[in-house]
Amino acid sequence: MNPGNGGWAILLTLIAALILAVMHLPEWWPQWLGWLRPNWVALTVFFWVLAVPQRFGLVAAWLLGLFVDVLYGEPLGLNGALLAVFTYITWSLYERLRMFGAVQQAILLFFMVLLAEGARMIGLLLLIEREAQFGFFATALASAVVWPVLRVALNQVQLACRVH
Amino acid sequence: MKALFLRQSGAGYLLVALLVASLSLMYIELSKPWLNGVRASLATVLSPVYFLADLPTESSDWVGSTFSSHSALQDQVGLLERRVLELSQASQQYLAVREENGRLRALLGSRARLGRDVLVAEIVGVLPGADRHQVMLDKGSSDGIRDGLAVIDEYGMVGQVIETAQSSARVLLVSDLSHALPVQVVRNNLRGIVAGSGRLDELQLDYVPDSADIREGDVLVSSGLAGRFPSGYPVGIVSAVTRGTGEAFAQVQARPSAQLDRSRHVLVLFAAGTAEPGL
Repeated sequence: MNPGNGGWAILLTLIAALILAVMHLPEWWPQWLGWLRPNWVALTVFFWVLAVPQRFGLVAAWLLGLFVDVLYGEPLGLNGALLAVFTYITWSLYERLRMFGAVQQAILLFFMVLLAEGARMIGLLLLIEREAQFGFFATALASAVVWPVLRVALNQVQLACRVH
Repeated sequence: MKALFLRQSGAGYLLVALLVASLSLMYIELSKPWLNGVRASLATVLSPVYFLADLPTESSDWVGSTFSSHSALQDQVGLLERRVLELSQASQQYLAVREENGRLRALLGSRARLGRDVLVAEIVGVLPGADRHQVMLDKGSSDGIRDGLAVIDEYGMVGQVIETAQSSARVLLVSDLSHALPVQVVRNNLRGIVAGSGRLDELQLDYVPDSADIREGDVLVSSGLAGRFPSGYPVGIVSAVTRGTGEAFAQVQARPSAQLDRSRHVLVLFAAGTAEPGL
């Protein structure tokens, strides 16, 4: 993720993803909307790994995960491990995934985010005994639903900033 | 920097190394306090993220208040003036009562309770996920905030500080599932523990015997018994009591006094010595 060749664009989109991850809705919006928060960070990582697999590495993903840990107040290392595994899986499949259409990718992302969120919940349950909640289905669903739109948006960013 | 990238063979080893690093971090954090500084400094670096995430709400508030109509503002001013009058009247009474209380305490030979230092802070972030009741404040360790301080709003107890960075602090709300605090009923000093229910508009009063004298409308205030929360701040109002369920304890629900989903400004209470038990 060195800053040359549009690396700063990758950095900026990741920061934007972190901001979206903790963005809260104005108070007059219904509270249940809070459940439908896509996993913005994972989606953004997924995009960049597919687009420029040589630019986004495991260590970067892990560090990004540490930031997520701090933002969410979760045990340090938990999201780091999850994002590293997520990146590794995406990377090892990227040649095939690139051929997929937006809908196929969205369906795959549903399951990948579901697994990641499920693992995160189990981790939280074991580490800080947070009670089990089933919000991760909604997260996975929301992630899959926004993916086709997000893909187009990030593609525009990639073209505009000539990230290669 | 080449080694960071997956093109290299051996990415699998790197992954394993990172997983081991993660596991050790988690283990260290659970068992030792070494990483508190790391987390606090990362949180300091990341606090702009919270401020940026808060911008839409902040600006919509600003637009709302800037462009609200003249008459609406007049109404609001009228309301606030009435409220100031009420409060100043109440505070005059409070001064007299405090003086009397101090005299009586002096007679009893016990230490006078000091007024507390407070710090006004603004809520700049709400933790995502409807099941996690935490908020971020815009003040941190540089303003003197420490872990464990109680946070109130104008109506009652909001929660406690659980993590501090340089210029931000994380507050666990009383309604969070993992939160509990000792309270007592104002009417008869009956003690209990108020636990969060995971819903912003409901608290649970645990360990109240089935036969205890408690009813709807009872006001619960913090008892200060654990030494963490100061005593005498309103926590909730009993909204439902269910008895005779065959359990040893009655099921008691309460409505939080603080406006957990509305407050924008809160007060952080600095503890003046240890809290005294009882009222």
